[in-house]
Amino acid sequence: MNTPHTPRIEELLPAYALGALDGDDLRELEEHLAGGCEECRRQLALWQGDLEALAAEVPPIEPSETTRARVSRLAGGMPAASVAPVRGAPWWTVAAAAVLLALALWGLLGQARMEQEVRGLEAERDRLQRQVEVLSREVGRMRTDVQQAKQDLQVIAAPGVQAVNLAGLGPSPGARGRTYVNPSTRDALFYAFDLPALPADKTYQLWFIAGDKPVSAGTFAVDPRGTASLRVERVADVPQIQAWAVTIEPRGGVPQPTGAMVLKG
Amino acid sequence: MDERETDDRDLMSRVAARDGGALARLFEVHAPVTLGLLQRILGRRSEAEEVLQEVFLQVWMQADRYDGARSTPRGWLLMLARSRALDRLRRRDSARRREEAAGGEAGEAIPPVGTERLESQERKRQVSSALGALSPDQRRCIELAFFEGLTHTQIAERLEAPLGTVKSRILLGMNKLRQALSAHA
Repeated sequence: MNTPHTPRIEELLPAYALGALDGDDLRELEEHLAGGCEECRRQLALWQGDLEALAAEVPPIEPSETTRARVSRLAGGMPAASVAPVRGAPWWTVAAAAVLLALALWGLLGQARMEQEVRGLEAERDRLQRQVEVLSREVGRMRTDVQQAKQDLQVIAAPGVQAVNLAGLGPSPGARGRTYVNPSTRDALFYAFDLPALPADKTYQLWFIAGDKPVSAGTFAVDPRGTASLRVERVADVPQIQAWAVTIEPRGGVPQPTGAMVLKG
Repeated sequence: MDERETDDRDLMSRVAARDGGALARLFEVHAPVTLGLLQRILGRRSEAEEVLQEVFLQVWMQADRYDGARSTPRGWLLMLARSRALDRLRRRDSARRREEAAGGEAGEAIPPVGTERLESQERKRQVSSALGALSPDQRRCIELAFFEGLTHTQIAERLEAPLGTVKSRILLGMNKLRQALSAHA
């Protein structure tokens, strides 16, 4: 059954002409229009006319010479006589004109298709180029990681490596740590596990105690899993190292430990 | 019906009868405003010129489908052009979304539709005096529908405005537009 023509239906018409109607509104109006409402058809034509006038209000732009030439080739290649058979003209002139018409159309369409193809390929090339950049960055990162792992291995697997376990203290009893020192290169590696993250104004600081004096080996932060690693180069007085410790210090670190000790070993 | 429209209708029937000269004349008269509209919708001049060629090819092929009772020849041409340009815009949007999805973190560089749309802000201000009669909100909604092909829901999402507000802005705006256009006429 046809839906009645109501003020609400009329209100949907401008947006419909504009192409903006969607969802239930669109379904409701289309159902109504399917009934062949003459008044709606009349009003829609008026709205359409308004939109045509709106479209015509944009500032005009002169087409380029290329476009002009292509369209005039299309127009010039196909005079009326070339398609409509002309009385008295030999049959072969009509056939030749038809072939020319087909060629002109084929040329124009072919060109449009080709240009579209080129644009598609260019987009594909740009996409691949970006993928190559991402992969190159990834390879770069992996190379650095491998390099780092090699250096770490040189410390850990060195003959005579000195390994020390650090145990959690006071605020972080569950935390653990481990240091490795290569006595010949004097490079050290430190790993921490299960340390809680610190507020932004604090940092963890690693120390080694040599000759009863604490010496700073650097500061570090933990990742979300509570782990951290620190590489210390040229550790002084390796034979004198009595212990390793980690304290909580103000951001940037301090020359002498001032805060709570969280790891020691 | 004014003199130009009579001429246009005459040209259309000659084009339908495969008169190349009539097509050339139609192009001379209407290509600039059609290109203006295409450029407004697509933003990229080369693409606009390409669609312009397609539109005139379509006119040449389908002039016999033109229904003089439904629109003026210029209106028909402009609506053909708008519809082709919006199709192109949608294809460009979906290609952009595909590229972004495929490019992962590298999905950069291609600006969202609309930012590159106009040659300059200055140009935008000049566009259409009839739209100038609308409130900025009504104008924005109608421009998004007309020049970008967005629906009520899409406009509401784009502007982060309630759907009901968008609907009433469009309805009021279209009514105001009619008054402004008839005043111009």
